[in-house]
Amino acid sequence: MAQLLEQFINGLVLGGIYALIAVGYTMVYGIIQLINFAHGEIFMFGAYLALMLITVFNIPFWIAVPTSMLLCAMLGMLIDLVAYRPLRDAPRLSALITAIGISLVLQNLARMIWSARPQQFPTETLPAFFVSEVNMQTGEVLNAIPLPGGGILPYRDVCILVLAVVLMIALNRLIHLTKIGKAMRACAQNRVASNLMGIKTNQVIAITFAIGSALGAVAGIMVGLSENITPTMGYYKGVAAFAAAVLGGIGNITGAMLGGIIIGLAEVLGAGYISGGYRLAIAYIIMIAVIVIRPSGLLGKSTATRA
Amino acid sequence: MKDKLTPKNIIFGLLICFLPLLMFGIDDIVAFLSQSGIYLGWPGGEYMLRIIVRACVYMMLAVGLNIVCGFTGALDLGYVCFYLIGGYTAGILMARLGVSYWVALPLAVLHGTVWGLLRGAPTLRLTGDYFAIVTFGFAELFFRIIRNEQWLVGAPNGQLRGIPSPTLFGITFNQNWHNYYHILILLTLVVFITYRLQHSRVGRAWVAIREDEQAAESMGINVSRYKSLAFAVSAAIGGLSGAFIAQFQVNISAPFFEFWESILILCMVVLGGMGSIRGAIIGAAILGSLGEILRPGLIIPYQFGNPRYLIFGIILILLMRFRPDGVSLKKT
Repeated sequence: MAQLLEQFINGLVLGGIYALIAVGYTMVYGIIQLINFAHGEIFMFGAYLALMLITVFNIPFWIAVPTSMLLCAMLGMLIDLVAYRPLRDAPRLSALITAIGISLVLQNLARMIWSARPQQFPTETLPAFFVSEVNMQTGEVLNAIPLPGGGILPYRDVCILVLAVVLMIALNRLIHLTKIGKAMRACAQNRVASNLMGIKTNQVIAITFAIGSALGAVAGIMVGLSENITPTMGYYKGVAAFAAAVLGGIGNITGAMLGGIIIGLAEVLGAGYISGGYRLAIAYIIMIAVIVIRPSGLLGKSTATRA
Repeated sequence: MKDKLTPKNIIFGLLICFLPLLMFGIDDIVAFLSQSGIYLGWPGGEYMLRIIVRACVYMMLAVGLNIVCGFTGALDLGYVCFYLIGGYTAGILMARLGVSYWVALPLAVLHGTVWGLLRGAPTLRLTGDYFAIVTFGFAELFFRIIRNEQWLVGAPNGQLRGIPSPTLFGITFNQNWHNYYHILILLTLVVFITYRLQHSRVGRAWVAIREDEQAAESMGINVSRYKSLAFAVSAAIGGLSGAFIAQFQVNISAPFFEFWESILILCMVVLGGMGSIRGAIIGAAILGSLGEILRPGLIIPYQFGNPRYLIFGIILILLMRFRPDGVSLKKT
C-alpha cells in the first residue's frame, strides 16, 4: 500500500512533466496540423542548455531556468522559420519528413556538443531544498515529506508538480483570456480565414512554437533534476508525451494535460507492477489503441478518419 | 514516373555482376603496393565487398518501403519491424532450432507478411500522420519485445550469436562473394516482382489510391484490398532482407533494428524520389555507402563522434525544401 502511494505520486510527477511536453505537441498540431517531431529534441536541449549555463557559465539555477526557456523558445521559432514556414503549403508528409530531419539533426548535434555520456545537474549547484535524503541512523528525513509506510515525497517532486500545475493554469488563461490566445484559437479553427481577418498567422504560429518550446524546456529541466540527461531523452520522453497528446485528443490543450497525467501514471504503475522493460511500451500500446479505436482521443471532437 | 527496362539498364546490371572480381583485383593491388612500401589507407576489397552487400540489403529494403511509401502514399515510419521480424525468425530458427536456411528463409518471409497484414488491418482507415505514428509504435513494440523476452532469443538485449551460413550440395556459403551473389539474386527477384506489380493493374490501383483515395474507391478500386496487398508485399520484402542479413551478420542484436534504421531507409526512398524503383535503388546506393564512409575513424576523426545521422537529417530537410521529388527524377 505504501509502495502504491509512492508509485502513484511518482506517476503524477512524471505525468505533470509529460503534460508540459504534450502541450507543445498539441498546440502546434492544433494550428498547423503538423506532428512536430523535433519537439522532443527541444525538450532535451532545454535540459542541456540549463546544464551548460550552470556548469560552464556558473549561472545560478534560478536564472538558468528562465534563460534556458528563452533560448529554447528562440530555437523553436528558428526551426519554424527555417524549416516549416517554407513548407506551409506543401503536402503534409513533406513537413512531417522535415520534422523528422530536424529531430535527427538536433539529436546528433547534442551528441556532438555534449557527448553521449549521461549527465546530471551537480548537486551543489541546485537549491538546497531540492536535495533530499534520509538519515539511515536516526531515520530523520531531510527536505522531504515522510509518507505513511516509510516512503518519502521529496520537496523537489512537490515543486515539479506545483510548477507544472501553475504553468498549465497560466497557459489555459493565456489561451482563453488574452488577445494572442484568441488569435491562436482563431488560427486553429481556420488559418486562411483568420489571415483574411487581419491576424498575422505566421506571427501567431511563431509565438505558438515559442510557448510550446519554453514549456518543453521547463519539462526538460524537471526531468534532469531526477534522471540522467542524455541526447536520446528527448526522443523517448517525446514519444510518450506525444502519446499523451493523442490520448487527450490532439489539438486539445486540456486533453493534453489529462493525457499526460494518465500516461505518466500508467507508465510508472506499469513499470512497477508489470515489467520494468516495458516501461515505454505501455505508452506506445495506449497510443496505438487510441488511434485505432478512437482517433479523436478522450476530449477531442470527432473528425471522422482524418488525421 | 515509371521505370523502364532499357539496354542501358541491362548493361549496368551486367557490370554489377562482375563487381566482386574488381574487388579482388583491388585487394591484390593494395597488397602489391603495401609490399612495395606504399600504404594507401585503403580498406581493402573484402571490406568493400561487405559494404556493397550491405548496401544491396538497403536497396532491397528501400524497394520494399517504396511500395508503401511511394506507390500507395502512406508514410511508414516502422518498416524496420519487418526487417527485425525476418531477421529474428530466420536467426532463431537457424541458430537455436537448427533449421536449414532454405526452410527458414520462406518462413521468415511468411512471418513478415503475416505481421504486415496484421498491422495493416486496423490501420487501413487511417491516413497521413496517424498511420505514420501507428507504424512507428508497432516497430518500437517489436523492438522492446526482442530486447526484453530472453526466453525467445536466449540472451539479453536480443543478442543472437552464431547464426550458421546456408549450405547447399555440401558447399557452405560463407564467403563475401557468395553473399554478394546471394543478395544479388534476391534483389533481382524483388526488383523484378516489384517492377511487374508496378506495371500491372495492381500498380495502377496503388498510384490511384495515392493520388486520391476517395476517387479511387468511387472508380471501383477495392482500396482495402489493394492497400493490404501493398502492406503484405512490402512486409514480405522486409522479412526477406532480415533473413538474409541474419546469416550474413552471423550475430545480430536489438540495436541493429532501432527506429533510426527505419528513418535511414525512408531517407533513401525520399532521396531517390518516392514512387520510383530506380530512385529507391539509387538512394540506397548513395546513403548505404555514404553511411559506411562517414563511419567515425575513416575520414572523420573519432572525436567528432558519429555525424552520419546528422548528415542524413540535413539531407532530409534540404530535399523536402528544394527537391521534394528526389534527386533522380525531373523536377515537376
